[in-house]
Amino acid sequence: MLTAEQNAELTRVGPGTPMGELLRRYWYPVAFTRQLEEFPVKRVRLLGEDWALYRTPDGSYGVVEEQCPHRRASLAYGVVEGEGIRCGYHGWLFGRDGTCLDQPAELDKTSFKDRVRARAGRAEELGGMVWVYVGPEPAPLLPRYDVYVMDGVRDFGHALLPCNWLQIMENAVDPHHVEWLHGRYFEFLGSRMGFEAPRSFQRRHVKVAFDEFDHGIIKHRLLEGHTEDDDDWAIGHPMVFPYCMRVGGAGIEQMQIRVPVDDTTTWFVLYTVHAPEGAPPPAQTVIPDYELPWRDQHGNHIVDYVEGQDIMAWVTQGPITDRTVEHLGRSDVGIAMLRKQFKQQLAAVAAGRDPIAVVRDPATNARIDLPCEKNKFGAGAEFALQWMNLGFTRYSPQLEDLLRLHTEAAKVRANA
Amino acid sequence: MPEAEILPEDPHPLPPPTATFARDAERHLLDAPRHCPRCGAAIGGPGGLVVEWWAATDRVFYCWCRSCDWTGTVVQVDRHIGHEATG
Repeated sequence: MLTAEQNAELTRVGPGTPMGELLRRYWYPVAFTRQLEEFPVKRVRLLGEDWALYRTPDGSYGVVEEQCPHRRASLAYGVVEGEGIRCGYHGWLFGRDGTCLDQPAELDKTSFKDRVRARAGRAEELGGMVWVYVGPEPAPLLPRYDVYVMDGVRDFGHALLPCNWLQIMENAVDPHHVEWLHGRYFEFLGSRMGFEAPRSFQRRHVKVAFDEFDHGIIKHRLLEGHTEDDDDWAIGHPMVFPYCMRVGGAGIEQMQIRVPVDDTTTWFVLYTVHAPEGAPPPAQTVIPDYELPWRDQHGNHIVDYVEGQDIMAWVTQGPITDRTVEHLGRSDVGIAMLRKQFKQQLAAVAAGRDPIAVVRDPATNARIDLPCEKNKFGAGAEFALQWMNLGFTRYSPQLEDLLRLHTEAAKVRANA
Repeated sequence: MPEAEILPEDPHPLPPPTATFARDAERHLLDAPRHCPRCGAAIGGPGGLVVEWWAATDRVFYCWCRSCDWTGTVVQVDRHIGHEATG
């Protein structure tokens, strides 16, 4: 249980708020590379502010505050040129660092344009997505987490959700929800809707544990019938501070990304790489991205797939969870720990230090490997098929290809 | 001592009286540790974090102190139990 004041401190992400200042120390994906290749400018919203994201003809990226400093028209309707973006309204041109380079209707020999500057962030492409940094300089490096740089078949499901990002992050340190939300509840739905829910999600938790590390919190679970040598306990998987969760198993590697769009909106992206052992991944020219349906025509949540169940649990807490009336139990210790980690990093920023998971050393950024179990829930290769058929991948335009990839890889492994 | 006098100096907003658990929430705020067990700094507001959870009849307060970075739990108990069978 938190006070309203503490709840506000942890959930408000706008400029000038303590959490907003902390979150502005990180890079965020805001678009798929495909989108900027199809049309080179896009309006994006991040941390309660609107930006114009663009791709110049040479393939580099820029991001400026959406409103033009001249007369406040949207630069998301601007003209992309080699040097930057030109406002569609009167043609003022801004470079990638926000410098005003041209004011066509003004006098050439005045210092007017030197006194005007657009607020600019930084933008880069990595792994099929375009990322931006809108915090103070010097900007840290865009972290090259393993999933973003590994070989494999990429698949991006996503949804824009009407709730605060923190209640989604609290789910990332809540192992027990799996056996209920994706176990018992799934089984309950299956028995009435005529499908078989995945049994591997139904195992009881014997114990859970949490370890803080340089990039967040690693959670471990010991499931009924397992030993401490099993992957779920021995390795676990991490909540990646401050807005991701690394998860995977059986040749599916995933970063669950929860971008804080504003206080009550989160962009949920399932950045997934299929790389089963035994079969080289086929070449991929286009990465499919697709929106996950999570409400039906009556406005009810679609809960007959894993991530739809998660979305139900996150969104039904309300736009911002009222933590003044919650009642935590001992199984919620990970949530207490997560809140503490946020408070610690808020204090670090207030003291002028870098918070955790800010990467500045290129030597450590070639590839940042995160711990993640391989044999998820002890289900072996079956986990991959269950997760695809009863998870978000069922909406993927390449579902059949992915099922075939994993099935053929399993055959190769069996014959090896 | 009337309850109002032992409220924190900077009273935290409470849920409206009609809200579920509102009285409960008030009691929880009143009972939460306000000072770091290690260095004595205030931890109830911006100086730290106190998150309560329940384990059987125990009330466990997970505490973090911004001043000295101590993290630990404070347990409020109604009855001290030395050991008991766990099955």
